[in-house]
Amino acid sequence: MNSIIDRAKQSVDQAELYWNRTDRIHVRYANYSMETITQDSHSSVALRVIADGRLGTTYGITPDQKGLIEDARAAASHGAPATFSFAPRADYSDVAMYDRAAEELTSENLVELCEAAKTRIQKARPDIALFIEAKRETIRRVVQTTNGADAESISTAVRFGFGAPMKGAGVRVVKSTSSTSPLTLDEAMVDEFLEWYGWTETLSTPSTGRLPVLLAPEAAFLFHLPLCAGLNADAVHRGTSPLCDRIGEPILSDRVTVIDRPLLDGDVDSRPFDDEGVPCQNRTLVENGILKGYLVDQRTGAALGQPSTGNARKKQLFGEGTEIDPNPWPMNLETKPGDASHRDLLAGLDEGLLITGGMGFHSGNYPQGQFAVQAVGFHVRNGKVVGRLDKTMVSGDIYKDFKNIRALSREHRGPGDSMMAIGRMPYILVDSLQVAGK
Amino acid sequence: MKQAFAGLVTDLSAEYADIRHEENRKVRIVYQGKTLEQITASSTSGGNLRAYAGGGRSIASFSDPKSAESIARTAVVSARLVGQSRDKPLRVAPAPVIVDSFPVSPSEDPRQISLEEKLALTAHYNDLILAQPDVTTTFTSYDEFYSRRLFVNSDGSVIEYELLNVGIAGLIVTKRGSLVQRVRFAFGGNEDFSRLRDRDADVLTSVGKARELLDAEPTKAGTFPVILDPSESSLFIHEAFGHLSEADGLQNNPAFRERLQLGTKLAGPILTVTDDPTLPGHPGSYLIDDEGVRGVRTYLITEGVLTGRLHSRETAAEFDEPLSGNMRAVDIQFMPIVRMSNISIEPGESTFEEMVASIDNGYYLVGAKGGQTSGDQFTFGAQWGYRIVDGKLGPMVRDINMSGELFSTLKAISMVGNDRKFGERGGCGKGGGGPMQINRKSGSGAPHIKIDRVTVGGVG
Repeated sequence: MNSIIDRAKQSVDQAELYWNRTDRIHVRYANYSMETITQDSHSSVALRVIADGRLGTTYGITPDQKGLIEDARAAASHGAPATFSFAPRADYSDVAMYDRAAEELTSENLVELCEAAKTRIQKARPDIALFIEAKRETIRRVVQTTNGADAESISTAVRFGFGAPMKGAGVRVVKSTSSTSPLTLDEAMVDEFLEWYGWTETLSTPSTGRLPVLLAPEAAFLFHLPLCAGLNADAVHRGTSPLCDRIGEPILSDRVTVIDRPLLDGDVDSRPFDDEGVPCQNRTLVENGILKGYLVDQRTGAALGQPSTGNARKKQLFGEGTEIDPNPWPMNLETKPGDASHRDLLAGLDEGLLITGGMGFHSGNYPQGQFAVQAVGFHVRNGKVVGRLDKTMVSGDIYKDFKNIRALSREHRGPGDSMMAIGRMPYILVDSLQVAGK
Repeated sequence: MKQAFAGLVTDLSAEYADIRHEENRKVRIVYQGKTLEQITASSTSGGNLRAYAGGGRSIASFSDPKSAESIARTAVVSARLVGQSRDKPLRVAPAPVIVDSFPVSPSEDPRQISLEEKLALTAHYNDLILAQPDVTTTFTSYDEFYSRRLFVNSDGSVIEYELLNVGIAGLIVTKRGSLVQRVRFAFGGNEDFSRLRDRDADVLTSVGKARELLDAEPTKAGTFPVILDPSESSLFIHEAFGHLSEADGLQNNPAFRERLQLGTKLAGPILTVTDDPTLPGHPGSYLIDDEGVRGVRTYLITEGVLTGRLHSRETAAEFDEPLSGNMRAVDIQFMPIVRMSNISIEPGESTFEEMVASIDNGYYLVGAKGGQTSGDQFTFGAQWGYRIVDGKLGPMVRDINMSGELFSTLKAISMVGNDRKFGERGGCGKGGGGPMQINRKSGSGAPHIKIDRVTVGGVG
């Protein structure tokens, strides 16, 4: 494996190898019936080189694939002048993210977990079209550079979730969870699913105007994605971020603290090094509403004149993969919980919305902190859910509306395995957001 | 490899098996602002295998062809495990055996154009945008994807086919004070490189809109009659209706299957919707899908009545409906799923002027800006728009997101224009039970349409 870096040294100024091998088993049920078992075994590499001062990239399947260095060099011959160097040698923290018991899970084990959920939920709701998914992944990552970075990790992830389309609508109620170790059926997750599903059977449309909104952890993307777009050092360097030159200033309610915790043991989003081989670190991004720091990778760090914070990730809004260039992202984001009970927060609303998701987020102006989505969730009156939201849009600007946060719940959790999943969050009670309904 | 794979799928003791092997070559060039962010030429290869055995189904993918045999045998065992737990066996509908090849033949082949020339052309458009006033940054990309595919199945089909797609797309960002606006542009979208040349006028038109938006009013939230331009109408029919015509999404959703039985009246007689991969030169054009079935024109809605659906061999068997050739995978990392090809609203009789004149207080929404659907709920953005007051176009508006419920919105389509246009670039994201697949080879077209009631969400 070292050979490609050794060979690259002879023909380019610098080189960086990223190698990912993922083995996955995925069991899927649809409408209470097992539908498919998928097994994937993929290897993929990205090779970046700096040759004659210019940057070039190529992708392939394995590090020993013929022509990788040549393709990267050819790209570099037309490439932009390199403004940064690949990562130097470093020591990496120990993070617990591998469990042999998870790697050894078979499709039969995953089927057992799905059957447990099926039996429990079918008893209560035989009338719904329940889908269930269980996955186990083993991911081996290697990042090596000619500057001495030599990072290698193995991690496991077990992901499990279930849901069902709401009757008559098709929008789904979904609950999911993940761990680096084997999972068992979480009864509380089943209970909350059944409670939420039960609430969907009546429709309700609030009046147009400003209303208090309780954001559930499943809707974390409405807050975390605009915030991270602003914290992205690339947007800061280009001057398009609303958070340019605002370190030390209040940007959100003083109740809000946001941290990145890549070194948290036992979490599927934890990792000791980023996708450029830079050590990851736990960092506070927003403390009691005050902006403390940005998300920085090697390239944007060089542009801003500061070191990488270990936040390079081969990720973009819709997906993550070897063929995406590293760019600044949080690793394991968390909005710190508060001390309220989310049930008390709900019970305290005269009229408001419990938002569990939103559609159309990506077509909004989120890099500026704004969102305008079709609301998925529930209408609350006199402290009680009166029905699922129908024909309702909710819009806001986190830098205005999240200055007025009434409370955060003590319960917090990850958003599961959804398309826009990003970070753990408590229930957040926003004083008011713009609602378009009746 | 062809003989080895063909031998393997017939030797598996499965009811049905197939292997798709791909050799892919991608070129990508990205400018962000003045900076060349990425220039990449890369090659990948690998395979994807499906087995139906004992009434169940299993799927496996591999990077190394040497591992295909052991993976295939494991897949058959997994498929039987699935089958054991099912009351109703999974099976595929019969399809013609095809032994043929389907090469691409572009008039100007991007694979013959040097990387220098591709870079220079991308840089030209990027520089042109950056030279305009109010432009603060750009994101301009060149994407080329060539895939040489081999498909074999246990019925005896052996098909070699190629896909080739090239395009330039960009995001123009303008800024004045703290107000930032974005307009997207895209061209190309088929196998022909010449379509990327001489497009300065189109790029400058998009820049002009991004600048005008800096003086536009925010949209007011509420429910209004709207006119959608062809780009926005195309997005609407793709997102709101098209995804519900993909049978894999309906397969396990009893409530929607019930609502979407063929013969159901969905809209007025002015609305006819088709899906057609055989139209040449559009992003979603192809001759053969990724399960070895020829693409055909499918009438999804005929004069307001649901008349067709998009299928895989499995869903065609499940629904007992004709094959449509819509089973496609973006690349080897993915299993094929049912996808639209080129969906379009057939032209009607109204003129744009008649539509505007019919609205007292509403909006004209222009330019697709991404959308999302879940069941019958849809949401999508528009790049810009105009208020319509007393039958006349008024001032420009910005920050537009609109949403609704499919069935009532289809019924609310009251006028269909005579001016159908197809978009040059396509794109669609769908998971279908697996990871999200972003498919550039998805096209759409439509004329202007008028919808009597749509919820528009603004920031104001």
